[in-house]
Amino acid sequence: MPQGEYLVYEVFVQRQALDFHVNVGSLRAANAEMAIQMARETFFRREEVYDIWVVPEHCISSSPHDAAHLPVHAMDKKYRLPRGYDNAPHWKKFKAKAMTIEDVANEMTGGGGEGSR
Amino acid sequence: MTEDHRMADFMTKIEKGQKIEANDWMPDDYRNLLIKQIHMHAVSEIMGAYPEKEWVPKAPTIRRKMALNAKVQDEIGHGQILLRLAEDLSRPYGRGREALMDDLLDGHVKFHNVFHMPAPTWADAGVIAFLVDGGAIITQAMLLDSSYAPYARMLKRIVAEESFHMQYGESVVLALAEGTSFQRNLLQEAINRWWEAMMFFFGPRQMGQSAQKMMRYKIRTKTNEELRQKFINRYAPRLWALGMRIPDPAVKQDPQTGEWGYTEPNWALYTEMVRNNSGPFSQARLDLRRRAHAGNRWVREALNHASVKPSAAES
Repeated sequence: MPQGEYLVYEVFVQRQALDFHVNVGSLRAANAEMAIQMARETFFRREEVYDIWVVPEHCISSSPHDAAHLPVHAMDKKYRLPRGYDNAPHWKKFKAKAMTIEDVANEMTGGGGEGSR
Repeated sequence: MTEDHRMADFMTKIEKGQKIEANDWMPDDYRNLLIKQIHMHAVSEIMGAYPEKEWVPKAPTIRRKMALNAKVQDEIGHGQILLRLAEDLSRPYGRGREALMDDLLDGHVKFHNVFHMPAPTWADAGVIAFLVDGGAIITQAMLLDSSYAPYARMLKRIVAEESFHMQYGESVVLALAEGTSFQRNLLQEAINRWWEAMMFFFGPRQMGQSAQKMMRYKIRTKTNEELRQKFINRYAPRLWALGMRIPDPAVKQDPQTGEWGYTEPNWALYTEMVRNNSGPFSQARLDLRRRAHAGNRWVREALNHASVKPSAAES
């Protein structure tokens, strides 16, 4: 690193309490505290955010970007995905309704569903 | 700020539906309840993989084997994610991963013994995936609203993955229900074996002190009875639609209140099982876990010594 150059910090933002932090870009700053201040100025002049992380670039290890090192869908993985199971027509045969997890989640977090009346 | 003020602020936050983060101030009570809940959840996921993996060689088709393997991977993954949350909460007590896993082997943490009862046929494997996982999904979906944000965030991920588990369980049960009378009979017998355990699964109507406190802190948002009612309401009509019987004549819905009736499970028997981890296969599977944990300790230690500390590498 050239003499006198500030560290590069990667900036991660969590927009709401139940969101995960996502990377939005990077900036240079003299220290972590300044980096957070800079992140506000640079990335969040308008939107409201819940939390900001700054991480010195050199602390991040990343995987190589070629196919051999990344999880790729080399084979059919439908067996581990909900859409790999077409249960609805089978339920219909028994005159019952198919279930989805969204439906359960909605019901259990107050959004109504089968249990509400 | 005095302790009383902090507590009052904390409760105001909870009542407003605001979320608590790992590094926020929290009363010890709240921390301890969270550790108890998340630790139990984590080891239940890990122990839950053991009965499941036993079905991989016995599953009828390659697709079912692959799906089961995927499920086992998911359960272990969920265990890892949840253990991290329990570790962060346990930091003030100086307890980390080793200690939390040792608790399992020393019997200091409970897990869902309901997964560790006899499952003699493939239909049992299906009914476990349908009903027991179904019950677990209902509980976890409720926790999406938890006041502890790191738990609620991780549950979003976990519940999304459980979506496949749910469809898988239904698929196995539907295939049996659409099969020969022999297969339908297997399914009926498995339902007979598991129904009572599912009534126990959600806990007693009169909740214990910890459960009541968890409601007050909004760590959980529904009572045991509410969860059980949601479960019966979803699953009883579907079992009937498949032409199956429910081995409890008391299961019917009050047309006025919508409330479902059921016969109380043998609370003493199941409670004893949870207290002593004495589910018929609990100890045998704990032994497997013990062998894995103790047997691989030298690997963990070797890796620990071999890993170069970043500060040392840079200097």
